[in-house]
Amino acid sequence: MADASIEFKGSSFTLSVLHLKSSELADIRADLTNKVAQAPDFFYRVPVVVNVEKLNGSIDYQGVKTLIEEFNFTFVGFTGVIAKAQRQQIRDLGFSFVNSAKANTTTKAKISKESVVAKTESVAATTQRHLYTDKIHRGQVRSGQQVYAKEQNLVIIGSVSAGAEVIADGNIHVYGSLRGRAIAGATGHHSAQIYCQNLQAELVSINGHYWLSESMEQHWDSPVYIHLTDNELTSSKLI
Amino acid sequence: MARIIVVTSGKGGVGKTTSSAAIGLGLALKGHKVVLIDFDIGLRNLDLIMGCERRVVYDFVNVINGEATLNQALIKDKRVSSLSILPASQTRDKDALNKENVGKVLDDLGKLFDFIICDSPAGIEAGAMMALYYADEAIVTTNPEVSSVRDSDRILGMLASRSRRAELGLEPIKEHLLLTRYCPKRVAEGEMLSVEDVEDILSIPLLGVIPESQAVLKASNAGEPVILDTDSDAGQAYQDVIDRLLGETIEFRFLLAEKKGIFSRMFGG
Repeated sequence: MADASIEFKGSSFTLSVLHLKSSELADIRADLTNKVAQAPDFFYRVPVVVNVEKLNGSIDYQGVKTLIEEFNFTFVGFTGVIAKAQRQQIRDLGFSFVNSAKANTTTKAKISKESVVAKTESVAATTQRHLYTDKIHRGQVRSGQQVYAKEQNLVIIGSVSAGAEVIADGNIHVYGSLRGRAIAGATGHHSAQIYCQNLQAELVSINGHYWLSESMEQHWDSPVYIHLTDNELTSSKLI
Repeated sequence: MARIIVVTSGKGGVGKTTSSAAIGLGLALKGHKVVLIDFDIGLRNLDLIMGCERRVVYDFVNVINGEATLNQALIKDKRVSSLSILPASQTRDKDALNKENVGKVLDDLGKLFDFIICDSPAGIEAGAMMALYYADEAIVTTNPEVSSVRDSDRILGMLASRSRRAELGLEPIKEHLLLTRYCPKRVAEGEMLSVEDVEDILSIPLLGVIPESQAVLKASNAGEPVILDTDSDAGQAYQDVIDRLLGETIEFRFLLAEKKGIFSRMFGG
């Protein structure tokens, strides 16, 4: 029988990770009290992974879990344990061990210099690799029109007129002449690129770096792609 | 079903009214029932070009407001009986029109005529939007000059997004490019955009190329649409436009600078 009522799928989420710098429960309690008092609503029922990487010796895993639950966090599991024995100990206690994907610190809020540091870690690497889908626009983008592909690549089957604007969080492909403005990697992706069959643009921009038409002389009126190399815009011939 | 054709451009002074008059009269001469509507409320011109300015009693806005019937407002052309003109009001402004009422008038006209030619005002404001809203086809009038081409491009964007057909997701408005005031000599000298340049930028099918001609100004002042001047190149070019609108394939003329013949060179003609 097919499992019609359930389905297992993998998804990635951003979780708060609590970095412990001391295994002394009293210290942790004192610092957490201070931290939570600053923004009680913000931390209420926030899922938390506890990173014990920086701790030496024996750790009272059960005590840590009970403690952070006292502060109304939702305990998810432990992370940052390398020793096999410790991992086994965590499992034996009935807790989960969470493997972080390559950690990328986006925000960092120190709870205390001595004992704990709270960080938001992106467990998901999906956004970094930007596996964007494509938004396809058939026909010319006329002067005064604006096409924005939010969290997508933008494919224009036609030309982009002078005075028109095409924007994408991912890459931009123009199968025609690019005479207007093209802004790729709009929300900050330095690996975004702009491809066009004929470059006559008013402006091209990738991740905030931009060129006006006078900077495009090298490949003007030819098939080109534009990308960032060492934070500098570069154009290369397509064919 | 009547074909509703808007003559539009974005930019002013490129020849919308001249073209509307020539095309309307040309279609009527071919035996079709045609009505020309002047959408340029407040800047009434079409009646002058058509030579019927002294016969205007009621206008488009009177009909919209229910102050006159269509039959009272329509002016029958004296040259061709199958052509009528619905003049604009000179004393009102463009806010006098609204979609609902314009739609009703067009519906009523559709029962009486084969072609409804809407002469649009310049610009991209309410008046121009009203003229193009109900269109089935659009004749985008463009001069071979960068600002005119840019404005035409803008209007083409409007046709594709702001018309009734776009709003209802119907088959898009059929677009035609009409290049006016074309001067092959200046194109050859690199002073003017060529037909190919304009086609490349706008990428819509070419309906006609009207050469720059003294005959146009003369015709406008006389109130005789230039298509009646069959000796002039502009008149002949408009005639070609009519044939193409009616589905014929006609080769484009007047695209190259005239080469002076031996006699005119000898006698300075």
